[in-house]
Amino acid sequence: MTATPRRRWSRAALARRTGLVAAVGLLAAGCAQNAPQDTWDPAGENAQKIHDLQWPVFTVAGIVGVIVLSVVGFAIWKFRDRGQPIPEQTHGKPKLEIALTILPALILIGVAIPTVGTLMALNETDDTECIVNVTGQQWWWEFDYPVQDGCGGIDEPIITSGQMVIPADTNVLIRGTSRDVIHSFWIPRLNGKRDMVPGRVHTLRMQANEPGIYAGQCAEFCGLSHANMRMEVAALNDADFEAWKANQLEDYESPAEGTLAAEGEQTFITNCARCHQVDGLRDSDGQLVVSRPDNQVFSGAAPNLTNLMTRNTFAGATWDLITQERRDQVWEADPDEFGDLYLAGVEDEWFNEVDLREWLRNSPAKKPMYADPTRLEETDGLVRGMPYLALSEAQIDQLLAYLLERK
Amino acid sequence: MFTTGSKTLIGAATLATIAAIVYGVTQDGVRGTIGLVSAATVLAVLSAANVALRDSNVFVDDPAPVETVSAAQRSGSNSPWPLLFALGSVIIVVGLVSYQPIFVIGVVALLAGGAEWTVQAWSERASSDRGWNAAVRNRLSNPFEYPLAAAIGIGIIVFAFSRVMLWLGSKTNTTIAFSVLAAIVLVVGFLFAGRRRARAGAIGGTIAVGAIAIVAAGTVAGLDGQRDIPVFETTSLWMQEANEHPEEYAEGAAEGKHPAEFICESPEKFPEADKKASQTVALKANATTIVLQENGELAFDVPGPAEVNPDGLTIPRSNPTNFIFRNETDEERRLSADLGIDDDGFRDMACTPLVEDDGSQVLTLTVGKPSFAAEGVTSGPTEDAEDYWFFIPGVETAKLRLIVP
Repeated sequence: MTATPRRRWSRAALARRTGLVAAVGLLAAGCAQNAPQDTWDPAGENAQKIHDLQWPVFTVAGIVGVIVLSVVGFAIWKFRDRGQPIPEQTHGKPKLEIALTILPALILIGVAIPTVGTLMALNETDDTECIVNVTGQQWWWEFDYPVQDGCGGIDEPIITSGQMVIPADTNVLIRGTSRDVIHSFWIPRLNGKRDMVPGRVHTLRMQANEPGIYAGQCAEFCGLSHANMRMEVAALNDADFEAWKANQLEDYESPAEGTLAAEGEQTFITNCARCHQVDGLRDSDGQLVVSRPDNQVFSGAAPNLTNLMTRNTFAGATWDLITQERRDQVWEADPDEFGDLYLAGVEDEWFNEVDLREWLRNSPAKKPMYADPTRLEETDGLVRGMPYLALSEAQIDQLLAYLLERK
Repeated sequence: MFTTGSKTLIGAATLATIAAIVYGVTQDGVRGTIGLVSAATVLAVLSAANVALRDSNVFVDDPAPVETVSAAQRSGSNSPWPLLFALGSVIIVVGLVSYQPIFVIGVVALLAGGAEWTVQAWSERASSDRGWNAAVRNRLSNPFEYPLAAAIGIGIIVFAFSRVMLWLGSKTNTTIAFSVLAAIVLVVGFLFAGRRRARAGAIGGTIAVGAIAIVAAGTVAGLDGQRDIPVFETTSLWMQEANEHPEEYAEGAAEGKHPAEFICESPEKFPEADKKASQTVALKANATTIVLQENGELAFDVPGPAEVNPDGLTIPRSNPTNFIFRNETDEERRLSADLGIDDDGFRDMACTPLVEDDGSQVLTLTVGKPSFAAEGVTSGPTEDAEDYWFFIPGVETAKLRLIVP
């Protein structure tokens, strides 16, 4: 019995096949099903404007690219070295050079006109009806709703983090800044990026066509955990938004005496309240507990946890407070059902205890942060991010029980 | 076999490696370690290349080139670069045990000396023609040497001159110094201009003397130290003084040196802090504007066109927020913010200096405590008014609620 001779590909055949596999791979990479930050799937007016611009621009760029690469490829192949004599050398082709200068200029002018128009339209904020102050810091986003006539009227400020809640089909004015370094606020399905710069207030109009949840993340490198500085926008219909506002402004209720959550309240006051504010929380002497993150954290702020369990994420929207199954339900909900699912917050049966427990056990191990006090000479001892608190498992149990009631 | 050049480079690579380890372990300095590791890597690569190419040395058993090839030629001239290289090594050692800047200077000297030495050694063996060797060396090195030397020279002159400027104690002294300097330059320029043919050496020598004089003056002035720069009084300094030294503050008020109240509660003029206030206004981007209107009420405008509630102004917590205060009344007024009692038990207030009619001033506030926890605020419209408040001393109707979530 003779062995079947092994098939050997020529170099050219091997190159062709490798190129084909690479091209198919590249093409397939653009076919992700789960792409919540897809700029090609706009869900708001401004995002639609960007989308309407990028289609023709990328089409023109693509055609030009294909023509240029084809001509270069043809020239390389046609005039490859086969031992032929070098042809007569000439210098300059004025007509061709002029044509090749004018043509790109005309193409660029054709692209520039709609681009400038779109840029100006994106900067319009005159028609906004609701204000949200957005403040970036390493590595999470804070959203506060100032006292205003907009947003259906807000008489007391609302403050939250990680997830911004807005009324759907309403032009929202984002007034953004930063507490430490430059960040960039970007919800790809709703709008383009806007840098958030310390000492400046930058404005941006945002609008979601219909209720739903939209992902985003910091788009300006801002340090060690830049990749973990995410945010989400939850758009609610007017009735749901009113319900959300009312819930955010409800008075604080202490856990029932004798419960694990009540022990958690004391643990929270002892270990967490120096940085994290829970509005209305009082200590055993009845004194209001006021956090002072400006004495502890480099940015001067830590997330307000008054209504932690009304949002679905924590730690810069990097981890979910709800289970994956529940997350899928929320993210895939129809616009009509979304509000109910979102407003339900974190219910016991959907509570993702695992990640929050790990976070409380050792947050710097879970999310890279400059939280080691022995290496903080440049910040005068102030931490960047949440430090390791050396909590016991019993304390973590108490805190989980307490935080689960923060709705 | 290893040539002398190869041995030198191998030795330098080894030295840099040891220095990197020693520095990395003892100093815990990331940048210095990276620099030394980079130097060790570069030297190791150069060593490998040198060994591979046998340092461009000819075979000893090849009689033909013994007399003619470049490697057989005598060295061109004495070179200062080994001296700089050695000096850099010493400075590095000194820097390791003293200050990081000295270490950096040593590294720069070592790299500069090493690079120049390498180029010169290479150029002297480039051919058997000394003139051509010198030309090729200059062609390679001069584009780096001239700009760097000029930058260093100008940097030294500028630094020395700045020391003199910082040393001069008054405007009069500065005027005299500059007048004398200008006169010297004018006279020297006049003398040179008057000569039909000035020698280049004379001009160069004069400039060198001038440069040395500036460096010498800068050295003397630097050693003597800067003049005392006075700290000008500000509203916050007056608040601090009143809070921390209430008895001395009251004493000063009794002697008529300043009004008796806190500056942020006073409509009166305080010395220095209220002097020419509007000339010190700074432009801040995207600031919230607070206007004292002719009717004695406060109005405000925040960045962005959306409607806000006119009853209160919300600012983020623990973040500097800029306000521009504009006074549209006929009298000088200041904008004050009453932030209650601070952590040390002092009155926490901030205010602008007095601002004249149609004048503006900037006030930057950073509030670390939420307004629902405000304590001891007395400037609201009523005694039990919550939150923080902007107000105008002397204008009872001018109140604006400041909300910090």
